Amino acid sequence: MLKKISVLLISLGALLGGTAGAAPLNIVATSPSMAALVRTVAGERAALTVLAAPNQDLHQLQVKPSMIRALRSADLVVAIGAELEVGWLPPASASAANPAILPGRVGYFEAAAQVELLDSGGAADRALGDVHPVGNPHVDLDPVRMATIAHALAARLAQLDPSAAAQYRRAADDFAAAVAQRVTTWRSQLAAAPGVVLYHRDAIYLLERFGVPLLGTIEAIPGVPPSAGHLRELVTQLRGHSGGVVIYAPYQAPQAPTKLAQDVGWRVACLPLEPPQDADGAGYLAHLERWVAAIAGQP
Amino acid sequence: MHHPSLVASLAAATLLVPITAPAASDADIAELKTMLRSMKTDYEQRIRELERRLARAERTAAATAAATAPAHAHSEPMSAPSVTPPSPAASAPPRHASFAALTSGTAFNPQIAVILDGNYYHDGRDGDGAALVGQALQPSGGHAHDHDHTDDAAAGHTHSHGSADNGFNFREAELTFSATVDPYFDAAAYLAVTDAGDVHLEEAWLQTRNLPAGLRVKAGKFFSDFGYVNKQHPHQWEFVDQNLPYLNLLGDHGLQDKGIQITWLPTLPVYTLLGVELLQGNQEVFGATLDAAEQAELHLDDTQDGPRLWTVFAKVAPELGTQHALQFGVSYAHTDQHQEVHAHTHAGEDVVHENALAGDADLWGLDAVYKYDGTGAGGQGDVKVQAEYLRSIKDLSIASSPHPDVVGSARQFTTDGFYAQAVYGFAPNWTAGLRYDVLGPTNEVSGGTTDDFGASDRWTVNVTWKLSEFSQLRAQYAYNDILVADDERERFDAVYLQFVMSMGSHGAHAF
Repeated sequence: MLKKISVLLISLGALLGGTAGAAPLNIVATSPSMAALVRTVAGERAALTVLAAPNQDLHQLQVKPSMIRALRSADLVVAIGAELEVGWLPPASASAANPAILPGRVGYFEAAAQVELLDSGGAADRALGDVHPVGNPHVDLDPVRMATIAHALAARLAQLDPSAAAQYRRAADDFAAAVAQRVTTWRSQLAAAPGVVLYHRDAIYLLERFGVPLLGTIEAIPGVPPSAGHLRELVTQLRGHSGGVVIYAPYQAPQAPTKLAQDVGWRVACLPLEPPQDADGAGYLAHLERWVAAIAGQP
Repeated sequence: MHHPSLVASLAAATLLVPITAPAASDADIAELKTMLRSMKTDYEQRIRELERRLARAERTAAATAAATAPAHAHSEPMSAPSVTPPSPAASAPPRHASFAALTSGTAFNPQIAVILDGNYYHDGRDGDGAALVGQALQPSGGHAHDHDHTDDAAAGHTHSHGSADNGFNFREAELTFSATVDPYFDAAAYLAVTDAGDVHLEEAWLQTRNLPAGLRVKAGKFFSDFGYVNKQHPHQWEFVDQNLPYLNLLGDHGLQDKGIQITWLPTLPVYTLLGVELLQGNQEVFGATLDAAEQAELHLDDTQDGPRLWTVFAKVAPELGTQHALQFGVSYAHTDQHQEVHAHTHAGEDVVHENALAGDADLWGLDAVYKYDGTGAGGQGDVKVQAEYLRSIKDLSIASSPHPDVVGSARQFTTDGFYAQAVYGFAPNWTAGLRYDVLGPTNEVSGGTTDDFGASDRWTVNVTWKLSEFSQLRAQYAYNDILVADDERERFDAVYLQFVMSMGSHGAHAF
């Protein structure tokens, strides 16, 4: 009887303690790409919670109580950063009453702060849409930057969990090696890519990395739906370019991209910016593989 | 850095000269010295020129880098550059050591936003309707004392989230300032400026950011966390106006007071927030007290020392996956002191009799909020459903009356109300909302006299167009059925056309 009670108490304790007991680090990733990085660098040493799904717009997401709960127990929050999550991560972190993960503390890791950014330094003028002069935050579509971020993350994990520092570093090295190998292949695949039209400037890091020309964006200014006039202009601009692809994300309206692709005789593809919810390093690279295939136009 | 080293070598050369030319005359030395001086100035000039050219080149490079991205750069007005943190130059090493969040920067200024909230209003009662919905009949009610209202109007107390005239109204310009004060505190201030120029301090508080064990303390003037909609500012409401239970049981501004709040977020398997608030108790409706002159006149106690009002609340939210969010809340508020005056006349008499009542009051609240993320473009497919139930119970006794026999007898006033509303994103950037709200399913007095009054209710529909994250236009129609006196109802239509403009820093997408 006593044994039964103690078993019950232990299991209750395990339930209340959540997953914290199983792994040395409790990590919250804002997006599936950051989660993939955590899985690949920290492996079994991290109990991981992902706050957003790949079909959700990370800039428009709203705070949910379950996010606050996850952040409450986190040792480390891994965000893409550069104001991408500005609408929800700061209020959720503040509500989580967990000083360890506030910006400026060792428990706050922002991927965008580890690499150089594109599109930075523009005018802070909302006539230009939902602009962020600090720079374009979508760094996670560039595998080379992601390798840099993986090393930075390994360094941060080592600070939090010094006993496994070597393991983190090795994992980041392995990821960087896998990236380097793929990048060579992708470079040759994309060398002759005729160009891309994006809905929003959210894949520019990938295009810039492989020298693929960005021939236009569906939305004239960020965060504001396109006008018919702008789309007509795009059609005129794209005449003479053939074989390109119009790419939009699942949470962007498909009508304008589809129509544009039809008008100019291009392909159209709906691709999530983020890898699947449960992706690890390999899953992340497989996700980029889909992008490369779509841009290169190879079946 | 080249500059000083060059000067140093010139100096060295000057020192060497006498050694290598020991036979030179004084005149020669003087000439050499002049030559060296001129060489020195010459070099200095050249170096300055080089430095100028280098600086120019750096400026051009920076400008080009800034202009690479937007193809429409030429159409941008020149504007003072916003203060941005030093953007990592191509050669800068990645900042592994940085724990900071990248932001557009505010250079130590607080984050500032200005929100403009204006409307066109029309009802079938010459504009009385907007005020009337906040004065639905209760046996005990917000209209504590008629004198109060006259005095308020005379004192120019015009700030009211509920009021609107037929025609154009400017509800408020809300100025919000928020910042992290230091590693220990966050702070914020919200000022509402009305069209008449009155400034009303909506909120001004500090909140801890460094307490252990999931604790946070907030102090200052703030919107209570009682219920769900109470802490929202008017521009955050899903409908132009406040729902009937809040409007009538708590007043225009809801439970907004000076005090202190402590919340605790334990590490339970599901999100659970527990909180307690100690508030001064300066309320318009729940916990209202009369002014000193009236208290003397009506044999009521003086207003007690604060804090006179306290609340406790709990919120629980199960985890339902990334696209769903659900939260339940239960709240309770108690005020130690509540005073009101009931006026009545007797048939065939002109004299108005006033009974003064005093006692304490309780308020219960239940709330439920469900959000579904449809993941469509511009919020298409999103659903938000919220419902709240409030129940106010006032235990008062008659402190003074023209009828001495009733003095000291107890009266209990109970009024409840609920609202349920749903908002659906039917197209990108467009939402439609439906609300039903009712005050007084229970609307009774018991004690010496027992009476049950009827309920007031309302149906509201609206359509909101969010042109961008920063601007929205809304059209709203309501059919009101408001109880104004025993067995006397006002039924009328009311229409709002509203704009809300948000300038400045990016707003929070709070739950």
